[in-house]
Amino acid sequence: MKRVVITGLGIISSIGNSVSENRSSLREGICGISSLQMFPSKFSDIYPFGEIKISNETLINKLSVSEVGVTRTTLLALHAFIEAIADSNLNKEEISSSETALIGASTVGGMCLTDEMYNDSQSNTLGSSYLDSYDVGATNIYLQKRFSIGGPVNTINTACSSSANAIMYGARLINSGRVRRAIVGGFDSLAKFTINGFNALHILSNESCTPFDENRNGLNLGEGAAFLVLEKEEDVCGNKRIYASLSGYSNTNDSYHTSSLSENGDGPYKAMKEALDIAKLDPSLIDFINTHGTGTENNDVVESRAMIRLFQHVPAFTSTKANTGHTLGAAAAIEALYCILNLAEQEIYPHINFKTPISSTGLYPFQLYKKTALLHIMSNSFGFGGNCSSLIFSKA
Amino acid sequence: MFYIQLTSCISPQESFGIISLDILHESVDNKLIANEPKYDAIPPNILRRMSKAVRMGVGAALPILQNKLMPDGIIISTVNGGKEDCVKFLKQISDYKEEMLSPLNFVNSMPNSISSQIGLITKNLGYNITHAQQGLAFEYSMIDASNLLFENPRRTYLLGAVDDISSYNYSFETKRGCYKKETISNISLYGSISDGSIAGEAACMFIVSGNQKDAIAKVSALDIFYHDDPSIVSDRLANFISKHLPEGEKIDLLITGENGDNRILKYYESCELKMKEEVSIVRFKHMCGEYQTSSSMGLWLCCQIFDAQYIPIHMLKRAAVTKKKYKNAILYNNYHGVQHSFTLVSMNY
Repeated sequence: MKRVVITGLGIISSIGNSVSENRSSLREGICGISSLQMFPSKFSDIYPFGEIKISNETLINKLSVSEVGVTRTTLLALHAFIEAIADSNLNKEEISSSETALIGASTVGGMCLTDEMYNDSQSNTLGSSYLDSYDVGATNIYLQKRFSIGGPVNTINTACSSSANAIMYGARLINSGRVRRAIVGGFDSLAKFTINGFNALHILSNESCTPFDENRNGLNLGEGAAFLVLEKEEDVCGNKRIYASLSGYSNTNDSYHTSSLSENGDGPYKAMKEALDIAKLDPSLIDFINTHGTGTENNDVVESRAMIRLFQHVPAFTSTKANTGHTLGAAAAIEALYCILNLAEQEIYPHINFKTPISSTGLYPFQLYKKTALLHIMSNSFGFGGNCSSLIFSKA
Repeated sequence: MFYIQLTSCISPQESFGIISLDILHESVDNKLIANEPKYDAIPPNILRRMSKAVRMGVGAALPILQNKLMPDGIIISTVNGGKEDCVKFLKQISDYKEEMLSPLNFVNSMPNSISSQIGLITKNLGYNITHAQQGLAFEYSMIDASNLLFENPRRTYLLGAVDDISSYNYSFETKRGCYKKETISNISLYGSISDGSIAGEAACMFIVSGNQKDAIAKVSALDIFYHDDPSIVSDRLANFISKHLPEGEKIDLLITGENGDNRILKYYESCELKMKEEVSIVRFKHMCGEYQTSSSMGLWLCCQIFDAQYIPIHMLKRAAVTKKKYKNAILYNNYHGVQHSFTLVSMNY
């Protein structure tokens, strides 16, 4: 199999509006969790969030958006997309070629407009300007039109692991010869819809989340978007930077419960194991793991058990959800991008907000900033419905 | 791309259990509602909690997952799956002012609720994914299956599409101008000259693999594109056929997604003009209505036609001048004028 490599990155999150800002925040252990300011919710004073402190109006002006009905989810996606294609030096012809795919993932999509969507769902109201925007596919349609993307344009939904599957789908389109390059990623914004959903599940923390800590008490919701440009290594010419390669990937289902993981993490274990098989790597060759690590009671202990089952010595690991919050459909793409930075810069960023290891597993996340040799890195993402995905990135 | 081994379909017609496609059930108030079975295979306590899209999806999938067939994964396409629960949860937020909400609707509000329920009920730990890209979601799920089988042809996947009519998505789509303003019957769908179509729903499931043995049909090529010019669309169809149809073979069947929408007819007519008189032209939206993943219904019907070598009269737009075996079909579907797909389907011979 030819190597699929990453030649462009773009990101916006609560710890930065660009790749370089995100890297600098990660190095310094910045926590992007704060009180909600951009829209009213009953929970704005109760829970903190990984909110991006840029208003929709500012984004609309900055990104020269002239169309009506463009949602915050799409604005965040557009912001990251523009950075990624510029970073990869893709020109207009390349983007509009039928050999360029756009594969995006989202869980919230246009549901960030919770109140508007509810009104439009009623038969006795007039339609708002957002009628075409609620669908999870709407963001990709906007990007497709704005950039005249000529190849396949698909939206994937596997809840919180969605964008890991967008990355996999893009890689397979390249491997099967359908396209030469794929712009892949995820995007989600904070919404009354998800805040209420996670509140009803009682898994939101009223403080900054503390993944893998014995005393963790839930997750923080966040928002953001990230895109990667994937290309076949042999197609990359000139002085274009190759950040890393995508060497393994797997998607499995835990088949246990719609909103919690099985006791020993069968789905997570199988996802990590199969990703290693595809990469043809022994578990001992994984240098670092960016975990799913949401900070919920269930996820962190199950993910720990699955890692202990698979790895004789659990590699250094962190959860960047302590920095960004859980960005749902964007999370796997954001965390894949962080793994790629780990490899490209040969450095590990410190896990933050940690005090006490989980007593039954005793695992300590890596809490220091360290320059170190890294060859292979794993990124885990799990979602409701038992959807589990693991990706492996390798040094370019 | 892949072979189709087994099929199953819950639709507004007699498509489940004893299949009888000569009977045509009629639409009511511009909606073709699925003719749902009793779902005996789903435990009643689980069935009660399922939304319509989930129960149709699970109900259509289970019969072809019997006999201990455990596929290597589940690939579902849906646009409306989860929307019923999604809007119920929105209603909770609105009615109860963000207080004391039940999480069940929230957990089931994502499109992936169908694929994950099938995985959960059949204890399938394999690949599990949901494609949700508007009018081409099923086509992208076929590409997914094709890519996976390209890596390992010995594998087997459940490939399916489900969309339902809920009062909620019906409201959205009505406001977007998808449906006719006047009430018509599906029987006279193609005689209508107004804008819009009628709403529909179905769940179509396929067991697909890279193995030719005992297969019903082969999906050998797929083209997906976006354009608004009918002549470009029909030129692309001609190119698609000449590129992918094996030498010596002929197209005998064109299955189109013509849906009674005056705005879209020109695309179908333009493609029909490319078909010689030896090609039979059939339509199917009068059987299932219009919905985002309806090309799956076209594929299911194509398998039925291959199997029975028979086309129900109500499907036929134009019969071939001389009757011969139906072996090679083109399925052309168009969603909202600009989202197009051509699928080349051949009988396994």
